[in-house]
Amino acid sequence: MNLNDRIELLLEKVQKAPRYSGGEMNTAVKNWEQAQLHFAFCFPDTYEIGMSHLGMKILYGLINREDWSLCERFFMPWVDMLALMEAENVPLFSMESRRPLNEFDVVGFTLQYEMSYSNILAMLRLGNIPLLSSERKEKDPIIVAGGPCAFNPEPLADFIDAFMIGDGEDVMTELNRVILRRKTEGISREKCLRELSRLEGVYVPSLYDVLYYEDGRIQAVIPKEAGVPATVRKRVVPDLNNTYYPESIPVPYTEVVFDRIMLEIMRGCTRGCRFCQAGILYRPVRERSMEKLIDLAEKLVRSTGYEEISLSSLSSGDYSCLPELIRELMKRMKDQRVSISLPSLRIDSVLKESLEETQQVKKSSLTFAPEAGTQRLRDVINKGVTEEDLLEKVRDAFEGGWSSVKLYFMDGLPTETNLDLEGIADLARKVVAEYFKLPKAQRAKGLRVTVSASTFVPKPFTPFQWAAQDTIPKIREKQEYLKQLLSIKGVRFNWHEPYLSFLEACFARGDRRLGKVLLSASESGCMLDGWNDQFNFEKWMEAFRSNGLDPAFYANRTRDRDEVLPWDHIDCGITKAYLWHEKEKSERAETTRDCRLGCNGCGLQRWEGVCSYANDRSI
Amino acid sequence: MRMIAVFEKSERLRHIGHLDIQRAVQRGLRRSNLPVAYSQGFNPHILVHFASALSTGACGEREIMDVSMAEDVTEKEFLNRMNAAMPPEMQLKEARAVDQKHPALMAMLAAAEYDILVRDNASAAQLTQAVPLLLKAEHFTTVRKTKTGMKDCDIRPLIHELYADGTHIHAILKLTEKEACKPQMLLSALQQLAGMPESAVPELRVLIVRTALYGTDADGKLAPLEKL
Repeated sequence: MNLNDRIELLLEKVQKAPRYSGGEMNTAVKNWEQAQLHFAFCFPDTYEIGMSHLGMKILYGLINREDWSLCERFFMPWVDMLALMEAENVPLFSMESRRPLNEFDVVGFTLQYEMSYSNILAMLRLGNIPLLSSERKEKDPIIVAGGPCAFNPEPLADFIDAFMIGDGEDVMTELNRVILRRKTEGISREKCLRELSRLEGVYVPSLYDVLYYEDGRIQAVIPKEAGVPATVRKRVVPDLNNTYYPESIPVPYTEVVFDRIMLEIMRGCTRGCRFCQAGILYRPVRERSMEKLIDLAEKLVRSTGYEEISLSSLSSGDYSCLPELIRELMKRMKDQRVSISLPSLRIDSVLKESLEETQQVKKSSLTFAPEAGTQRLRDVINKGVTEEDLLEKVRDAFEGGWSSVKLYFMDGLPTETNLDLEGIADLARKVVAEYFKLPKAQRAKGLRVTVSASTFVPKPFTPFQWAAQDTIPKIREKQEYLKQLLSIKGVRFNWHEPYLSFLEACFARGDRRLGKVLLSASESGCMLDGWNDQFNFEKWMEAFRSNGLDPAFYANRTRDRDEVLPWDHIDCGITKAYLWHEKEKSERAETTRDCRLGCNGCGLQRWEGVCSYANDRSI
Repeated sequence: MRMIAVFEKSERLRHIGHLDIQRAVQRGLRRSNLPVAYSQGFNPHILVHFASALSTGACGEREIMDVSMAEDVTEKEFLNRMNAAMPPEMQLKEARAVDQKHPALMAMLAAAEYDILVRDNASAAQLTQAVPLLLKAEHFTTVRKTKTGMKDCDIRPLIHELYADGTHIHAILKLTEKEACKPQMLLSALQQLAGMPESAVPELRVLIVRTALYGTDADGKLAPLEKL
């Protein structure tokens, strides 16, 4: 029986078979033989999550646009399918042509969150590819990875042959061209990796040695040979208007998490929230022009038939002509019954006008992210939002007919005390009060205030990269206290068990030695850790123990200023000195202005012409 | 004007449920940019109806949709534009323009034709032997899953035509809004008559293909629904 028939038989027995069906609209069915380079785009989570991811759609279109390269999609199968595939010897297969993973020349993983790392190992294993980079032979594909977590590549250094750091649009094609030469010129795997390391923004971990002190801290990370860069500088696409963006994207049959057109209106953020890793990694801020966006929106509506467009960026409210953009999009999309939604509203954006316009098509719940309960702590994290701002926006929303509001907070932020937790409850109470201040006839029925608190995870390349995460017992204590405080009528409280955040903290700031922990955990069956019902904390702790490593060393330890951090050889454009300066300001609860209002000297000014807000001032 | 169109739901899409197929058609119609009619109200949707929901797990060679048009278009234009807008797995085969007053397809539906492939040769042979037994019987009661629980159902009068051909079982079964014999019910009856254990259908490795939908013509005879 051929592979397709064997897959079809398995599909009779699994839950949610459409996850594996393929055949969606706009999925490239390209001729295998006609393309010289075959790229396997792997999303290390389920179909529903992966098909919601914008980066995959960009690179999928970009690779398939070239006539010499082809890209097919792979997702992590759910446990039932995975067990059947193992039992029946069915390898991980692509969604398009249902070819096995190891028949591709390049296997690329996107690293969106640390807790998907075990899925990478599970997918390689199911694809019959040796897990360890050092064990791969000439016939095996080159395994690459990119995305935000690639900025600390070290925990995956044993498994990934080459990392792409920063914006992928330009480096992707350069990397594919080098790998193509493996086939056309027969260059060896080793030589190919060495050549990849010469590309700007590409990090080949096997070409570096890591030296440790006896206590486990890193002494140095040193290139093994001349010609390998001591630091790898991230890639930046300078102008989004001249950067590839897909005009057609796959349209899934089944509902996925974000089942709509995502229009990336800008990249980067100028706010400088100190907990936010994306805010640093995606600098500098770059906007797509209104003309370009309207053109893209019209093409995407025509090619997908989607009924909804979401404007996507880290802080859409900061787009310089947002009201004009929304008004223009609405005008053009009205006849086609396409609604426009803004996913990441910031409460200090100029939005009143826009709110009234969104509502004209669809009314959903409004999300605000004050992040911390008191002004003091909001200043510590540089979340430039005041209580008055928030309440004013909430009032506008209630007046505009909304009755459902979500408030996002973090617990465990540096310097947090009980006063800050009490501040969360105070704020929730004030939001409820705003609703009841409106005359009954004027307010929409069914008030719903949802307060969500996630546990703070210190991330690399943030001013909190040196900070200790609260211990698990401490977080639990805080959550219990919040639970008591938030038993308020009309308010719902959501929180998560701290175990996953603890493990996330280990891997976010982990070093190369964690590769062994990951391997042990994967061998003991850990996978799909982001799913509550699959996550097995005990197995992970056992993996740390059996490798003689202490998770608290990674999660709960405060680092010194001069400690070599595992990611110090990656240059994200923002200097360590700037981050330390920000850390010190945070301890004094001093805020830093939005860099659109004046350059703060984060380090990008060193890279000529990259940041349009930069000037020569440096700290 | 309404457009009645015959389309395929390919084997690869057989696990896609009816609601998802409906949405895929809606989006296909939007991509086609044809002048379709929309419903009124807060969440307007395209006025498209389906003659019959095809169950998850089955594929269809001649499924039927019924699209209300805001402006008249030719059948050819409808077909061309839709086929450019639909995935290769859901292509249209025919289109027929009818008057707005044309009766609703669902109300005209009388029967459906199936081609059931039994991939397991031994099981196919056993089921084949049960076919004459079922045809000879005047009544045959099997259970049917409904919203309210399991119900007894005499399927014999619901069978218009039935024969086996190698590993294929061919059947025309009654399918109306009130009464229906689903192919799974037929298979379960044949299994019982063949003395086979009540194994799940996946074990038989069957592929159910709905090949046609029927209404009744002026003489009371079955006739292809899209032609009526």
